[in-house]
Formats: sequence, C-alpha cells, structure tokens
Amino acid sequence: MLNHRSSRRFPLVAFLIIIVSALTIGPVVMLVIGSFSEGIGAIGKFTTGKYVAAYTDPSLPKTLLNTIVFTLGTACFSTALGGLLAYLSVRTDIPFKGLFRVLPIVPMMIPHVLFAAAWIALINPTNGMLNLFLRNLFGFSRGPFNIYSLAGMIFLEGMLDLPVTYLVISPAMYSFDTTLEEASRVSGASNLYTLRRITLPILKPAFLATFTLAIIRSLAAFAVPSMVGMPGRIHVLTTHVYRIISVGWSPDYGRAAAIGLIVLAASIILVYLYRHLIAESSQYVTVTGKGYRPIVVELGRARRPLFILCVVLFCFLVVIPLATLVYMSFLPYSMVPSARAVSMMSLRNWRTVLANSVIIRALKNSTFLAVIGATLGILLSIFVAYVIVKVKSRGSALIESLSFLSFSFPGMIIGVGFMWFLVRTPLYATIWGLLVAYVGTYLPYGVRPLRSAFMQIDEELEESARVFGASFLRALKDIVVPLLAPGVVSAWILMACMFIRELSVSVVLSRPGTEVLTVEIMKLANDGLWGQVAALGIIMIGLSTALVLVANMLRVPLSHVDQ
Amino acid sequence: MQGMVSVKNLVKTFVSREETVTALNSVTLSTPPNRILTLLGPSGCGKTTLLRCIAGLESPDSGEISIGDQVVWSKAKGISLPPERRGIGMVFQSYAIWPHMTVFGNVAYPLEIRRTPKHEIEERVKKILDLVQLGGFENRLATKLSGGQQQRVALARALVAEPKVILFDEPLSNLDAKLRESTRQELRDFLTQLAISAIYVTHDQVEALTISDDIAVMRGGSIVERGTPQDIYLRSNNPFVVDFIGRANFLSATVKGYGGENHAIVSCALGDIVCSAPSGLGVGTEVTIYTRPESFEMVPASSPRMENEFEGTVTSLLFAGEAHEAEISVGGARVLAKLKSHIPLKKGDKVRLHIDREWCRALNPAEEA
Repeated sequence: MLNHRSSRRFPLVAFLIIIVSALTIGPVVMLVIGSFSEGIGAIGKFTTGKYVAAYTDPSLPKTLLNTIVFTLGTACFSTALGGLLAYLSVRTDIPFKGLFRVLPIVPMMIPHVLFAAAWIALINPTNGMLNLFLRNLFGFSRGPFNIYSLAGMIFLEGMLDLPVTYLVISPAMYSFDTTLEEASRVSGASNLYTLRRITLPILKPAFLATFTLAIIRSLAAFAVPSMVGMPGRIHVLTTHVYRIISVGWSPDYGRAAAIGLIVLAASIILVYLYRHLIAESSQYVTVTGKGYRPIVVELGRARRPLFILCVVLFCFLVVIPLATLVYMSFLPYSMVPSARAVSMMSLRNWRTVLANSVIIRALKNSTFLAVIGATLGILLSIFVAYVIVKVKSRGSALIESLSFLSFSFPGMIIGVGFMWFLVRTPLYATIWGLLVAYVGTYLPYGVRPLRSAFMQIDEELEESARVFGASFLRALKDIVVPLLAPGVVSAWILMACMFIRELSVSVVLSRPGTEVLTVEIMKLANDGLWGQVAALGIIMIGLSTALVLVANMLRVPLSHVDQ
Repeated sequence: MQGMVSVKNLVKTFVSREETVTALNSVTLSTPPNRILTLLGPSGCGKTTLLRCIAGLESPDSGEISIGDQVVWSKAKGISLPPERRGIGMVFQSYAIWPHMTVFGNVAYPLEIRRTPKHEIEERVKKILDLVQLGGFENRLATKLSGGQQQRVALARALVAEPKVILFDEPLSNLDAKLRESTRQELRDFLTQLAISAIYVTHDQVEALTISDDIAVMRGGSIVERGTPQDIYLRSNNPFVVDFIGRANFLSATVKGYGGENHAIVSCALGDIVCSAPSGLGVGTEVTIYTRPESFEMVPASSPRMENEFEGTVTSLLFAGEAHEAEISVGGARVLAKLKSHIPLKKGDKVRLHIDREWCRALNPAEEA
C-alpha cells in the first residue's frame, strides 16, 4: 500500500528534489567552483590564487576579530533581553501583557535598513539629532554618542534580533512545568537557589539555542554592518565580502566566494548545533499531568522599574525609529525639533523621491518581487511541505533536509553563489534572477509554517476524498487547500514582507534596471540624504502594510471555495 | 505535637476577570499524627488548594495553619513562612522530577540544601532508594525511568529529609489502572511502616478508601464529612458523600418506629425495612434511605421468609463479568442490584432479595438540603 502510494507520487518527489536542490545546493556548488575559478567570465579555469589572495589579505585578522566581537556581543545582548522579556511576559504579573504580543511583528513593520537609518539620524557623531540636543543642553563640544562603533552596531543588531530571541525563548518558558520549581521550594530551597539550581539549568538548552540563533543571524547581518560599520571603518565578514565585489574597479567574485565559504561553513555548523539544542530543550519538557494554574511570580517593588524598562525598550524598537522617520521626511536636513524646524517642514523630500525614475522603478520591482515572488515561493513551499508531511520516503526526507539547508545561508554569501549560478543563465541581471534567488534563499520561511499547517490536517480527511473517487490533485484542491488556506495566507504575508525588506541578496544581484527599494534606500543613506531615506522608508512601510491588508481580505474567500 | 497539621478557619478566594471563586470556605481541620488523612472530593472542591496552602505554595486570604507546634501561616499574627521553611515533603501529580538531574541528584537535593555531610547524603539516599526498590538506579537520568519508577523517585525525594509531614497531590493519577492498584498497596505499606504523617489528595474514591486511615470529604470549599473509610462508606449521613463515594439507591421512606437504639423501622417501596438510622427520628418523619447495589443478596424461593426481604422483577440486565448489574422493579421503584454472576438470570425473572439492616441506612434529614 505504502509502496503503491509513494510510487504514484514518485514523479512529484523527484521533480521537487531537482527544483529544491537547484535552488539551495546549486548556488553553494557554484560558490565552491567559483572560488577555484579565475573569474566570473572564466569559470572552470582552475586556480587556488583566490584563496591565497583572500586569506593573506592584511585586513582579514581585524575583520575576523570584529566579526567575533560583533556576533558574540549581539547574541549576548539580544539573548539576555529576549530572555528577560519572555520571563516577564510569561511568568510574572507585569502589567499590559498585550504589549508583548506586538513584539514578534515589529521586524515586519520596520525593516532593518530603516531601523538603522533612524538611529543613525539620531546618534551619529556629527549631526545626530539626539547628540545635537544633548550638546545644546550640556554644552558638550562633541558626541556624546557615536553610533559608528562596535558598541553602536551591537546595540542596533541586538535590538533587531530581540523579537527573534523572544520568540524562541517564550515557548520554553510557557511549557516549563512550574511544579519543578515548587518541588524545589518544598524540598527546602529558597527562591534564588531554585532559580540557580532548577529553573536556569532546565532552560539552559533553550537559552543556548537562542544564543546560537542570534549568532547565526548577526553573522549574516548586512544592513547594520554596512550602514553603521562601514562609515566607522569597522568591517565584519559580510561587509568585507561586499567590499570585494563592489568597491574598486573590478569586482572579484572568486575572492568573495573563497571568503564566503568559511562564513557559510560556520553558519551550517551553527544551524546544526541550533537544531540539536532545540531538540534537547524539548526533551526537558516533561509536563504530563493536567497543569495546575501556573504560579505567577509577583514582582512586588520591582514591578514598576521593570515595566518602565519594557516601555523604554518598546520605544527604542518602535516608537522612536518611526517617529524619527516621519519627522525627518519633512525636513531639509537634520535638526532638533523646534519652532524653526516646524517652519521649515515641507513635502520636498517626498516630491524628490517620487520624481526619481530609478526609485519609481525600484518601487515597481519590489512590489513585483513581493507579490509574484511570494506567490511562486509559497506554491513551491506547499508542494514541499506536503511531500515532507504526507509522503514518508527517503526522497521526502531528502527534500526536508534540502529545504531546511538554506535557513543557515547568510544572504550576502548565497547572493555571491547565485551570482556565479545566474551568470551562466539568461536570468542574469533580470528581475527573474532576483526572484529565483529570493525564493531559494527564503524557502525555509515558507516551508516551515506550512509544514506545521499540514501536520494539523488529519490524513483521513484526504483519504476519504480519495475513497469517494477524487483524484490526488482533486483531493488536494477540494479538501487540503481550503483547510490550509489560513496557514497559506499567513506564510504568504510573511514571505512577501521578507521580500520587500530583503537587502543582503539584492545588494549583490541588483543591477541597473533591477533596482529594489532597500538597496536604493541604502544608497540614499550613503549619500547622507536622510530626508529622502525617511520618505522612501515610509512609502516602503506603507507598501508592506497594504500587502498584509490585501492578503488578509483574501483569507476569507479562500477558506470557502465550495460556495 | 509531631507531624500534626492543623488548619483554622481557612479562607481562600480566586479572583479572575469575570468572577470570584471561593476555593476554601472557612475550613477547619486537624490531622491525626502518624496517620494518613485523605482529602477526597470532586474536581474544584478545594482539596488541592487546601494542600497547596498547607505547603505554602498558595497564600490563603485568612485563617491560620500550623504544622507541629509551629504556626506557619496566620493572618492575625502576620506569620507567613515560605514553603522551604515548613519542613514538609511533597509528591506532585506530575512527579516534578527534575529532568536535568540523575535519580541520585533528585533524591539528594533536599539533603544538599540542609548541608548534610557528603558521606551521610550518600548513605541516606541509598537507604531510601532501597526502600522504594530503586537501588542501583542512582546514576540513571530520572526522566528515562518509567512512570511508576518516577513516582517512586518522587516519593524517595519527599521522604529523604524526614519531613514532619508529607503531602501527596493525586500522586497516582498519571499511572495506568493496573499499576495504580499495585502502587496504592505499596504506598500504604511504606507509609504505615514509616509511621509518618501524611495528607493525601485524590478524587478517586477507591484510592481514598484503600489508602487512608482517615478521610475528609470536601465539596464546594468545605469539609462535608470526616471519618474512617468504614464510617464514610457504610455509615455516612450525607447524601452527597453517599452518592460520591459509590453507587447508591436512594428511596424515600417514612419512619414507623425504632427497633433498638440505632435501627429504625421504615416503610418504603421495598416494604417495611429495618435499617440503621441516626437516633432521635420521630415516628412519621419523612426520610431518605439508601442501599448500595452490592448489598443485595438473592434468596432461594423455597427458604422461609425473614426480615428485610422483598420480591421484584428484573427489568434490565447487564452482564459485567464479576456480577450481573440488574435493575429491579419493586413497589413502583427501581433499584440497581449487583447479583452474583454464576446464577442464571434473564429479563422478566422474579427475584427474591434480602438486604442486611447494617447495609441499609436512613439519612439524617437535617443534613439533606
């Protein structure tokens, strides 16, 4: 029976294996080949010269050191904050818990480029608004804050990773069996001793997993290192690679590939470590009995200061960057809010941006990539998730590993891989090339939520449709799709928003004609046109919001196909 | 006194957004030393809340709790000892075995906190693990054990520091039926052997009857009846308790007179019946009597008539292996009777049944309501 089923679906599985490997392994293979090639036009001409050049670069040791400080610092900062917020929201009587539900969607609202731009406008050492304000107030001659530093980078990237660390730690806190702590108290241990001997050790794998994930993300980070690190001459591996392919008279994709491979290898190792740690942490979930109401830890006198801390964090994450962007978009140059500033407000930045034909093209391209890219990406994800969940065979296990693989790929590096890949095809320098790279890089973000959606659909529902005479595709269309629709729409929204704010792949592959919004924003920022950055940024946020709203309107009719 | 827990006028309410629930409604209770007291009741009756208040895991609104000679919580005296200073042991429903520690680590934990010397810890842990038949399991990860073994680790951990009193929160409810029965027996043996004071919470009547020296039945935040298992099962005066603790036939009856101090003659659907009754019921009082299904015996048609016999018709019949579960129609009422299964029976048969006067009891009308 099983053999019969899997053999009937064999063509589908084989087809998916080819597509998914082309999208995930393809660029990696090309990256390896590229690193041993003379140049992008002379692929296959074997040389080890690129490795020699890449690893004898005198600036490399400093770059490596910066990368280590940056990733570890970011991971410490974001894990500590994420852990604290998760603990406060799950286990304590902190007020306004609804506030914490906003946290995970913050990164969908404010793309990294804009977050960095807003903070640069606030605390850059020359004319940061907050710096100017503090200088006026206290009579400093310079400073006091300098965002163009490792500390500034860690601060920004840590804040950006905070929603992710919060999302990973929270479930561990939720599923934590509080009787484990009670058993310790009854055994004679104090609150603090219990925290040290029981709570923290049990949560340790979850914390380590979160820490690992934060390292992976900051290793792949590009927006903050390029916008904040590069002006401060603080280079990490991603910006190092970026400089190799963008600065100077001839981009050297071979050298970029040679460096990129170690970043890729490190990421893959870290992802496997992450998976292992997550598995270990779920082993500690021992909740068996019907849980008594979890004890809420009373914060007592610490309640107010901790709540204020949370409010400050939310302001740092959302309110301050958004307010700064809106304010800046109406001003000709950076100035502290004043009557004079108000009198100088105008729509000039908006007009300039909208009159720029390159930016209009970028706007069109980004919308196209988000709508068409997410649709194709989700379509592929549906098939992949279906095969992973419903077809149990060696082929489907392979697809699962393949589709998970690119989760670990830093966009910048895989972008270089795609460069080597696409340059051999007619897709090179077209919008479709970008689309293929986007789907390949972000496939796991479509597959993972859909996989859990499929797991919630009982197999018998589909089997009964088959028994009553529906073909495989017909059953899929009539039974599975309607039940799956809400999950599909959510995944589509997630993917579309990711494509709009995508930077690190685009920055490698975007060419005149295939400009996208984020890259244009970065260019405007490099030119110091903060007003235009802000105006375009708000347009970009508006575009994401519009997509979310339209997709949500589609959710209802999709679930009722039979009417 | 060593090990005695006493609770005075304890009140606890839970306030949620929609409503206020009174979990404990002025409960007063004292436990006998070195005996097992069970708090029995349906879910939501407040038994677990009471146990958690005694443990210090929940704060009451008012009242007083003392363990031994020490007041551990008192609203009036402003005393509130945290759980770790109450000198208790506790076995949780989920066992609450720490997953990152070995069996030894789990059991040694209470002793480590008390700064017991290392060699003594090893000695005492070994001794207690032998007692619960887990000798040789010291270095296993506790979560790799079976449910029954985890349960015994939890028991060993609760016992090892020789607490004044040990609390059990539905410790057997996560075991499967077979294992539950044997563990029940073991647990009863351990506790009587150690002569330790225990408070045991359960919603399972059979568990309560078999394991306890003393039972307090709770309902809606109050204790409705207190007594030995025999008192509770055979001689309860409370209709809720009678109904909760097993199956019962309730019949309305009228007192016709007294036959001895504790027995009344009543008239009911079964005819005139002698039953045990609280004293002082006047002639003509309307009462409810109850009988247990297993209390009926079949009498051969040929034997001479005796006290408390009646005839009825089988109106429905279920064969349940150990017994027939028969519904008997008699005098316009229907009673459920468990009859020995080796006697052939079928629907429509006329049967003659006898019930012992001690197996049949009139409820105190004052306690109905």
